[in-house]
Amino acid sequence: MMASFLQAIVSGLVTGSIYALMTVGMTLIYGTLRTLNMAHGSMVMVGGYVSWMLFDSLGWGPLAGLVAASLVAFLFGILIQQVAVRPLIGKLGVDFEMTAFISTFAVTIVLSNLALRIYGARNKAVPPVIHGRLHLIEGVSVSWHSLVMAGVAVTMLLALGAFLSKTRYGLGITAVAQQLDAARLMGIPDQRVYNLTMGVSSALAAIAGVLLASVFFVSPNAGDLPLLKALIVAIFGGLGSIRGTILSAYIIGLLEALISTYFGVRWSLPLLFVVIMVVMLIRPTGLLGKPEEARL
Amino acid sequence: MLEVRGLRASYGETPVLEGIDLSVGDGQFVAVIGPNGHGKTTLLRTLSGLLEPTTGEISFDGERIDGLRPDLISMRGLVHIPQGDLPFGDMTVEENLLLGAFPADAWRKRSERLERVFTLFPMLAERRTQRARTLSGGERRMLALGRGLMRDARMLMIDEPSLGLAPVLVNEVYGHIETIVASGVTLLLVEENFSHVQAFDAHVLLLESGRIVRQGSVAELLADEIVMTTYLGT
Repeated sequence: MMASFLQAIVSGLVTGSIYALMTVGMTLIYGTLRTLNMAHGSMVMVGGYVSWMLFDSLGWGPLAGLVAASLVAFLFGILIQQVAVRPLIGKLGVDFEMTAFISTFAVTIVLSNLALRIYGARNKAVPPVIHGRLHLIEGVSVSWHSLVMAGVAVTMLLALGAFLSKTRYGLGITAVAQQLDAARLMGIPDQRVYNLTMGVSSALAAIAGVLLASVFFVSPNAGDLPLLKALIVAIFGGLGSIRGTILSAYIIGLLEALISTYFGVRWSLPLLFVVIMVVMLIRPTGLLGKPEEARL
Repeated sequence: MLEVRGLRASYGETPVLEGIDLSVGDGQFVAVIGPNGHGKTTLLRTLSGLLEPTTGEISFDGERIDGLRPDLISMRGLVHIPQGDLPFGDMTVEENLLLGAFPADAWRKRSERLERVFTLFPMLAERRTQRARTLSGGERRMLALGRGLMRDARMLMIDEPSLGLAPVLVNEVYGHIETIVASGVTLLLVEENFSHVQAFDAHVLLLESGRIVRQGSVAELLADEIVMTTYLGT
């Protein structure tokens, strides 16, 4: 009884960490650009394919994949920003939030179909970073790969926090998110900040993609479920709030694990949605979201 | 240092500036006085690049800057302290100030700049870890001034520093502006109330309906009865 509860907590924390890593970039982009980046899930897929290609052609494990995937996705992020987002910024008579939402969704469709064309529909498998399980106490265990996932996720979140609060360009990102006019008057180049935000966010999603590739498989639609989960986590946490996103990721991770332990896995999504809907009825802006004000 | 010729600007279809000429020399203090809604804020927003002019020329240090992005104009040392202060609300006082030192050369000297601003505004030092949105109106104004002083400004543009402040705080703010003027910084200041700049050795422009209608030194305007009754309402 106690063991199954603890087991649920352990796997909930692992899931929560990976949800936080997957979503924080989406939050960062919403904070600065004020739109949902619907191509975010595709970066999870890109990460998976980069990791698989390194493994398949060179025999390199996922650790090399982490570095390579984040670099590739960083460039993808800038490309998406330049092609699908930048042309819409500041256009008179264009609802930026909605059009950018649609254009980034178009990017997702293009990338999925490119992947289908290049790699085919068949699932690709990538081995875990480390095999085996760690037995904590009687009846409670966690795979080493899950521990690596949680460790990498938490490390990346801490590094992101330090970057945003200590470095020149990190503070610049937060400044653009909170007061665009003042940021521009300080000499902060907003276009470069948008590129950086898209690059960093995409790299974080791709890192999640490399880690997840060893648990699931890589396929052309490997980004769909992560996109859906990231949307749920981001909206539940409060759009644009990084703290809210991390809090919401762990709450949702733990809820999913507890529900599937006690009610069975088929109840995990329906019950989760009930909880989220009730909370959103009370707090329409999410856990830590603020209505139409400064974010991040 | 700053030369403006035939500057026009509008918000959508509504013209706001209808041909402004002005020049600010090195080390000079120029004040633009005029009632609210006649284009004072628009003038500064156009000069700093937040608003693109419809026609006209702006040159700074002999080079054209009209049409440049605001961050590039700011990097040249033309620093605009905007109306309403526009603090980064969820960041600390110290982070707000550090962002004032965003240009790479100012960033390298950020610690000494921070000390300098804290010496000038000891209140900001006491509040350094506090979020900017929790500051009072007067404190926010000091933060906005301090943020502008974090870098090597070649010229400062300040938008209505007395706006929304109690008289005692207005005096305090103008005390700081006196210090800034005394340090030899070139200054373009926009203000609704002429009495705030009377004590300065300033060149004054009267702005009405998007045009400069009169100009002269403080003494000249004070001696001009038509100006005093028609425009300054005394």
